[in-house]
Amino acid sequence: MKLRRILALAGLAALLAAAGLATWRSTHDSGAATVEQVAASLRCPACDGETVAQSRSPVAAAMREVIANQLAAGRSPDQVRTWFAQRYGEEVLADPSGRGMGSLLWIVPGLALLAGVALSVRTLRHRPGGGPPRTPAPPSASASSVRTRRAWDLAAVGVLAMVAAVAVAGARAGGVGSDDGDSPAAGTPAASTPDDALGRQIDLAKALEQQGEYGAAVEIYRAAAAADPDPRLRLRLAFALLRAGRPGEAAGIARQVLADQPADADGLLVLGLAERATRSPAASGTLRRFLRLAPDHPAAADVRRLLSQQPTAGSGPGG
Amino acid sequence: MTGRFGGWSLGAGLVAAVAATLLWLRVALRAAPARHARRATWATLAAAAAACAALEWALLRHDFGVRYVADNGGRHVPPYFTVTSLWAALDGSLLLWLLILAGYAALLARSTRRRTTTLHPWALTVVCTVCVFFFALTYFAANPFRSVHPAPADGPGPNPLLQEHPAMGVHPPLLYAGYAGMVVPFAYALAALLAGETGPAWLAATRRWTLLAWSLLTAGIVLGAWWSYAVLGWGGYWAWDPVENASLLPWLTATAALHATLAGRRRNPLTGWVVALSCATFLLVLVGTFLTRSGAVASVHSFTQSPLGPMLLGFVLLVAAVVGGLLIWRSGRSAPARPPGPPLARQAALLGNAVLLVLLAAIVLTGTIFPLASEALGGARAAVGPGYFNRAAVPVALVALVLMGVAPLIRPGGDRPAELGRRLVVPAAAGLATVAAVGLLTRPGLPALAAFGLAAFVLAATARAAAPGRAGPGTRIPVRATVRRLGGLLSHAGIAVAATGIAASSAYTASAERQLSVGQAVTVRGVTARLVGIDRAPAGRGMAVIARLALERGGATIGTARPQLRYYATRDTVVSLPAIRSRPRGDIYATVTQVASDGRTATVRLAVNPLVGLVWAGGAGTALGGLLALRRRRSTPAAAPTAVTAGEPVGAGRP
Amino acid sequence: MTRRSRLLWSALAAAGLAAAAFPLAAGLRGDSPRPAASAGAAPVTEVRDDAAPPLVGVTLAGGRFDLSAWRGHTVVVNVWASWCAPCRQELPQLVAAVGQVAGQGVRLVGLDVRDNDQDARNLLAAVGASGLTVVPDPRGTTAVSWGVSGVPETFVVDGTGRIRAHAQGAVTADWVRQQIDRVATP
Repeated sequence: MKLRRILALAGLAALLAAAGLATWRSTHDSGAATVEQVAASLRCPACDGETVAQSRSPVAAAMREVIANQLAAGRSPDQVRTWFAQRYGEEVLADPSGRGMGSLLWIVPGLALLAGVALSVRTLRHRPGGGPPRTPAPPSASASSVRTRRAWDLAAVGVLAMVAAVAVAGARAGGVGSDDGDSPAAGTPAASTPDDALGRQIDLAKALEQQGEYGAAVEIYRAAAAADPDPRLRLRLAFALLRAGRPGEAAGIARQVLADQPADADGLLVLGLAERATRSPAASGTLRRFLRLAPDHPAAADVRRLLSQQPTAGSGPGG
Repeated sequence: MTGRFGGWSLGAGLVAAVAATLLWLRVALRAAPARHARRATWATLAAAAAACAALEWALLRHDFGVRYVADNGGRHVPPYFTVTSLWAALDGSLLLWLLILAGYAALLARSTRRRTTTLHPWALTVVCTVCVFFFALTYFAANPFRSVHPAPADGPGPNPLLQEHPAMGVHPPLLYAGYAGMVVPFAYALAALLAGETGPAWLAATRRWTLLAWSLLTAGIVLGAWWSYAVLGWGGYWAWDPVENASLLPWLTATAALHATLAGRRRNPLTGWVVALSCATFLLVLVGTFLTRSGAVASVHSFTQSPLGPMLLGFVLLVAAVVGGLLIWRSGRSAPARPPGPPLARQAALLGNAVLLVLLAAIVLTGTIFPLASEALGGARAAVGPGYFNRAAVPVALVALVLMGVAPLIRPGGDRPAELGRRLVVPAAAGLATVAAVGLLTRPGLPALAAFGLAAFVLAATARAAAPGRAGPGTRIPVRATVRRLGGLLSHAGIAVAATGIAASSAYTASAERQLSVGQAVTVRGVTARLVGIDRAPAGRGMAVIARLALERGGATIGTARPQLRYYATRDTVVSLPAIRSRPRGDIYATVTQVASDGRTATVRLAVNPLVGLVWAGGAGTALGGLLALRRRRSTPAAAPTAVTAGEPVGAGRP
Repeated sequence: MTRRSRLLWSALAAAGLAAAAFPLAAGLRGDSPRPAASAGAAPVTEVRDDAAPPLVGVTLAGGRFDLSAWRGHTVVVNVWASWCAPCRQELPQLVAAVGQVAGQGVRLVGLDVRDNDQDARNLLAAVGASGLTVVPDPRGTTAVSWGVSGVPETFVVDGTGRIRAHAQGAVTADWVRQQIDRVATP
């Protein structure tokens, strides 16, 4: 059916032409580069192997905004990458250049391809000969049993040697965290730098305090204080305990802080307020020491007012 | 108490594994009866199961005197995630690995009742040796049962990213089942080298075990991609991250090995390729384990730094040396003789597939190891980002797509070019039409356009290959459309569908990130997300900040999205949880990256990911096709009804 | 395969194995990719000599600020944020240290990154540094143009407008004095 054949060929030719046009269209105008594309070609400098597009950290967010601004201003992706490389060094680029070490990235796969093609050609051209696979001729009984016994002995020694090697290496390396008390709440946080994380904790706890969720805030401050023995943090914990209605614990923590730093104004403030809440007679003395130490403290005016009133139980002024 | 019991189980498992290895070696060398060895193998499995059960018990009972529970357990963690925290960190995941390895050994040992071959005990020796190494590694270097004094009152819980999605319970076991399963084809390959023979039974066994592990690995990888998409918050599913690459590398060589087994049932000219590729697959499994667990490469997915690195590296080198030595020693024995066939025979196509997949594996491996190499040689650690992988791997994958469409249409005995061309006319037309239609209506860019066209080509060619012989000489494909063949074709179709999804979601995805006050909106591709409010709610031991977004398209409200920032106080991390609205035509993906402390503004990222669901569907189809292909060739009347899952591998495939 | 070719292949295989093992083993010995500078540890200091990027903006107090207006003075630029805990400890030390050498014409300006003004003012009040000149950078773009990868970071800019030192991590008063002495002596 020649007609059918001609029609089929014509149809194919038409499709080919249309496909060619479509391809040309796609290559001709690849469209403006997006922020995501450029961000995916930059490494986040503060993260573990994430690109700027993937990372959720503040630095990466700021870098994405810079990329967006520069692309909107009309710069090309290469210009943006160069700009970043000038400020952060070459290691901010996610893809190594093709020169120097980077050429290995193309050479090694190239060699693999050549080896694969060579082996395939060899397999395809394999000359007949040699016949079916030769199975070893059954050896004589005595020789084989000696040989197999020796092989078995050798293998047994090998396996036990491997176990011994792992045991020795493991004892040397895995001495970490054996039976003595390792830091129990070790959990390595995966994603954030210590700075951001602790700050976020404090932020969160403050937000909870603002909402009146003192109990939850106490938990968070406690966890933070366990991680970071900063006296400021412990005083915040003490203050949250105070507002959560647990002045006894608050006083205990404030006393610990004052033991290390006797002249700490905030410590005296929290201790004084806690003692006041537990109706301890030492309260006014402590508060007066606070006033002498830090007369310009933001809370000083309220404390003066408190001292001039009748001493009553109740939580301290909000601060 | 639980800790001590667990430690004893591990020790018992080590002893049982050593015994099993040596007993199977006796069976192989001296034809001793296999029942002692089989019992030792079952004992190994029992010990591994006991150790896992002990750790689960300790986790569920919050026994913080056990070090692993002290580091990864927590009273506030929901029960489902307490159970899955068995594999949330390195030591526990090694227990899961051991359980699966021992399971494969026991499964392999069971099948000896069907048919004894000389290769079978050798294979079991190899599997048990691997078990010995990993038992020793866990027991001596990464023992989760070590005790902690004083026992803390509570623990921090597992990594927050692992507590957000139910996939945590499915993905690791599935991935490990596929990953560790590659030990069996490797064992058979070494058995062939050690015993010096191959044959139809060996080939059938290798094929079935490779297929099982391959299907599970495919499912594991696709599930992992879906899970990262749903949880990590940046909207992508594959970052060419070293840990992701570590799971992909053995998949590539296993696919090549699988195809090489198709070159012939009785006498396979590609036997050497099967052996080499199976060995390479397991070596890549070990290298991947090394990269993931040693902390040598930086990745969000990797476990923390551990002392296992040198030991794993030592084992990798040992296995590589053994494999190399055996290959060189045995290379004198020739493969079965076969006259060179016509160039268009399936053998050439299968070899081409193997070369392409090995090339892809080389690209991925080089890119993954390059940071280490550059640091060792040059002093500066250069990073390799997605750009290199996309530029290098995509063209190779496109060529593989072409081959994937053409190869099933080639007659096994060979084809004249004209006949093959006639069979390819309709698929080629389908491909060109797709390119024309998509390219004229939109501008996806050259790689995506090629992917669309080739995917259409493959789907049409696969449909053609699935249809049994049609009328007319020269057009009939004389291969019975058995379930096995359909399984293989389904896998090809699945890859093509996944390729379409990957191309569409990479070419047409659009996103925008803006800082919004309440009432403001961000728009992407006609979809608008308006910030309605910001809520704060306590969540477990921390807090969740939820941004309520109203989604609109074309003026009409289509729904609400609630992306969250969740803070875990015990672990001191913030996790950004996306809100995904999945529809067949695509996903709407919203994340909140930052919320101001006054609670009135939030930085919101809105993305539209078209057709990304095809990636998951295609992947599922590929895995399913693999499982279908496990079906026996012909069920003999006396045999028990065959199951699609792999219970009986060896002795099957009677030619 | 002949014995000789077998030996040859063995040697080749051994060489290949060593080549593959070398980067993997080196990766084990290498430091972690990013040295974490924890609070209390010495900051990672880099000695430089390149032109400082512009630093222009409206301060917290409401006035206009331009770094180039301070030519002739040694300027310490401190990048901080209220959500950063080490910054809270570092700020008072910096203020004190610069106050001691103010007579030598040294000035301090803060760059507040991705923060909101009220939190910043609260922190400054709490540490007693309300008089500090602080330029807010709510989007972080100015910090990126200075090559900042985290907080806190500190730059020392000499009188000719060139960055002479860059520290990543919290700095101490001693560090500030050392760097200023180094920059001041020509």
